[in-house]
Amino acid sequence: MDIAWIDGKPATREDALQAAAGLIGKSRQPLIAGLRTDVAGLRTAFDLARRCGGVVDHCDSDAVYPLVTALRDSGAFLGAPAEMRRRADKILIVGDRALETGGDLVRWVVEGEPDLGVRTRASKRGIMAIGSNGAASLEGADVTRIACEADDLIDLLGLLRAQLAGHRLGKGPVAEEELGRIAEFLKHAGFGCVIFAPEELGELGTEQLLGLVSDLNAETRFSTVPILAVPDAFGAALYATWSSGYPLRVNLGTEVVQHDPALYAASRQLVGGETDLTIWIDALEGEGNAPASSATSIVLSCEPPSSGDAPAVAFAVAKPGRDHDGVLYEPRFGSFVPVSASSGGEGAASDLPTVATLLEDLTAELGAVAKAA
Amino acid sequence: MLTRLKNGHVVDPANDRDAVGDLFVKDGVVVAPPPSGTAADEEIDCSGLVVMAGAIDIHSHIAGGHVNTARLLLPEYHQAFQARPGLTSLSKVGWTTEETGLRYAEMGFTTVVEPAMAPTAALHAHLELADTPIIDKATLVVLGNDDLLMTMIREGESESAIADYVAWTVSSSRALGVKCINAGGSAAFKENVRKFDFDDVVPDYGVSSRQIVKTLQKAVGDLGIPHPLHVHCNNLGVPGDSSDSIEATIRAAEGDPLHLAHIQFYGYGTEGKRRFSSRGQQLAELVNAAPEVTVDIGQVMFGQTVTISSDELRQFAGRGQASPKKSVIFDHEANGGGVVPMNYKEKSFFNALQWAIGLELFLLIENPAQVFFTTDHPNGAPFTTYPDIFALLMDRGVRQRWLDALPKAVAKMTTLGEIEREYTLNEIATMTRAAPARLLGTTDRGHLGEGAVADIAIYRPGEDKTAMFGKAAYVLKDGELVVKDGSVVKRRYGRALTLRPEADKAMKSRLDRYFDEKYGIPARWLEVPEHAIGRTDPFKVVPCRS
Repeated sequence: MDIAWIDGKPATREDALQAAAGLIGKSRQPLIAGLRTDVAGLRTAFDLARRCGGVVDHCDSDAVYPLVTALRDSGAFLGAPAEMRRRADKILIVGDRALETGGDLVRWVVEGEPDLGVRTRASKRGIMAIGSNGAASLEGADVTRIACEADDLIDLLGLLRAQLAGHRLGKGPVAEEELGRIAEFLKHAGFGCVIFAPEELGELGTEQLLGLVSDLNAETRFSTVPILAVPDAFGAALYATWSSGYPLRVNLGTEVVQHDPALYAASRQLVGGETDLTIWIDALEGEGNAPASSATSIVLSCEPPSSGDAPAVAFAVAKPGRDHDGVLYEPRFGSFVPVSASSGGEGAASDLPTVATLLEDLTAELGAVAKAA
Repeated sequence: MLTRLKNGHVVDPANDRDAVGDLFVKDGVVVAPPPSGTAADEEIDCSGLVVMAGAIDIHSHIAGGHVNTARLLLPEYHQAFQARPGLTSLSKVGWTTEETGLRYAEMGFTTVVEPAMAPTAALHAHLELADTPIIDKATLVVLGNDDLLMTMIREGESESAIADYVAWTVSSSRALGVKCINAGGSAAFKENVRKFDFDDVVPDYGVSSRQIVKTLQKAVGDLGIPHPLHVHCNNLGVPGDSSDSIEATIRAAEGDPLHLAHIQFYGYGTEGKRRFSSRGQQLAELVNAAPEVTVDIGQVMFGQTVTISSDELRQFAGRGQASPKKSVIFDHEANGGGVVPMNYKEKSFFNALQWAIGLELFLLIENPAQVFFTTDHPNGAPFTTYPDIFALLMDRGVRQRWLDALPKAVAKMTTLGEIEREYTLNEIATMTRAAPARLLGTTDRGHLGEGAVADIAIYRPGEDKTAMFGKAAYVLKDGELVVKDGSVVKRRYGRALTLRPEADKAMKSRLDRYFDEKYGIPARWLEVPEHAIGRTDPFKVVPCRS
């Protein structure tokens, strides 16, 4: 089985490492992205970036930035999904995207009845969904549906806050009686929870929704479960935050870490031609969002190389949870969990190197290249 | 390799040593002086320098979900957490695990305890600690607002069953002790209760804060966990109610060991026209009269910081004072918590009095082995302010200069100006080395006797205590020179100190069922396997007392 390639042709691991180190040595601005790996892989990716002066981002950080930006602009109420599942007696689902991208998690939270809390346990769980498709995928659940197009959600949230604050209202996307129904639903929560997809609402919409939840907490208890289309991007953002101080989109090539959510976004680096070398890490289930780019690339992937333009150097790597033990971000837990080689259920562990091992070897090879020069 | 630390002023209160002499280190530990004539492989001239064991911080929020949220929330205020060159653009420097390890080491701290690890965030906390260089780390795991413990108390389950649950939690999460934060208060807040006292009862469970604290205190003692139950009392920061709560908790110790955290935040009365006054003296007297109780201070210092706490009720109440005006409140399983930025202003009567109350407590609690040196980092102030606090404790003149700069009304409300006590080096070493090691049960450190790990801090003494403690002349970690002239010269990774008490097998099966049936999550998600840490030999097990 081939495990490394140079310009699309099978190569030994040693030759490929040497070729990759050579490319990094010549690069003026490397980008380390994709970042679809376990925590050990993230750690070595950041170590490599420090070593070679790289910019670091995750291929799907667009999916988490609306939440990150809203949170750091104005704060948030956040609930653990498992706690909301046991406690929330009123659940409001805002928009369609949460169910589209995180349907399993949403259904897991809303199924069953609350069993914690005097105020919540006695009542049957109420579910209300505001959106254009009427939460069609919540089959079987007793859902009150309020029709509202995606473009109107932010207006509706603003009106709702105004209504709850007792302000006079102008005309909005839903009739005043509908608005009153939503307000009544929320006000009667023992412990309420709002489920939404930050990506759908954008930064301002997310801020508006978190503001609504903050308002509701003046009288009763409320929290939120944001549904992120690409949870591992959030895990990578958390790792980046403790390692570099910032949630991805960082440049580790300067004396102090620089963070710029626009400039150091992988998409901008690639499409704008800011980078001349991409080190692309892709070792998780599914596919990452890889923008087209003319930059030279080094690819670490757990899938066989696809036909088409071959990267300058490619490595086959193991997949955490299938081929080796590791730590991944788990949205149901809202934190990191250990995974073991067997938990993927796809058979025996492989001999392929992990992302962490391969990047460690690559970083060591950089030292060898530097010494030889 | 034999290293000789030559001719230093060795201050080692655990071994009654306070004199000039040599110290020998071999293979990472302190050894007896070799026979005369044996040449050392390495010699560090410590003439004129002060030699102490590496310092131990028993309560500093350095890792975990809430700490990381604080980083996430405040990209613009990362400068609160570190000293840096004046010309550096402040907005571009992060407050990271890396900086945490380096800055601590530069001050001669070699062991730091993260005191608020939720069982559900144990792996996250340990992953951050594994990325924190040089220092050894430990954690306290948080119980006391969790459904299972309160249910067990309500159902009248046996003390041994409860101890088994505590043992499983400590062991799975790789903790060094147990902390209880506003016992029952966070759970009550989920029921929309907005004020919770020591004898109030958590709705639905029918158990009081007192019952929870006493139950956990008993379990911790029965399991032989060396560190007594670490308690964050009810009503933190509330004038009057805070001091009532801590008084009730101290009295509830009833002769058994109990540690009370950041007590400065409970030294508040309601006297005066602003309804805010110092109860520092009364609180110090209570502590002096209760030798079974240990405390740490949570000193406030001026400047921007952020409060990080699993006391969700308190953080919710405090969010109105957030500066800048944003906060994150978590409703997690059990405790939850909150992150609220805070700017303590020298010109504010309230903040200035908080500063004075902390120092009153430091100086009026007589036994330096009973009171521990903390700012509750970053809640009272970032740990980078420690050198200034050492100076305030050791020099009355420095205190007076700070006091003179405060609003005049403050001087009338504090006895600080009249307190003459100045901490000696020996007392500083007791408070930051010998006593913390005893409190945590980590007998291999905190002293310089034979067999101690060679975690050693060497300082250049002088009139300016801030300079002395800000930049250690040398620091050895496990015998290796890691800091010279206040700068890190060698990066390495320390370990996490943990207990591994055995839980009954039946408890393990019960918890597998409990987490699966009640929360829909596997119990193994709360366990921290060694492979997950990704460092060689990441843990060091500290024995429980038999």
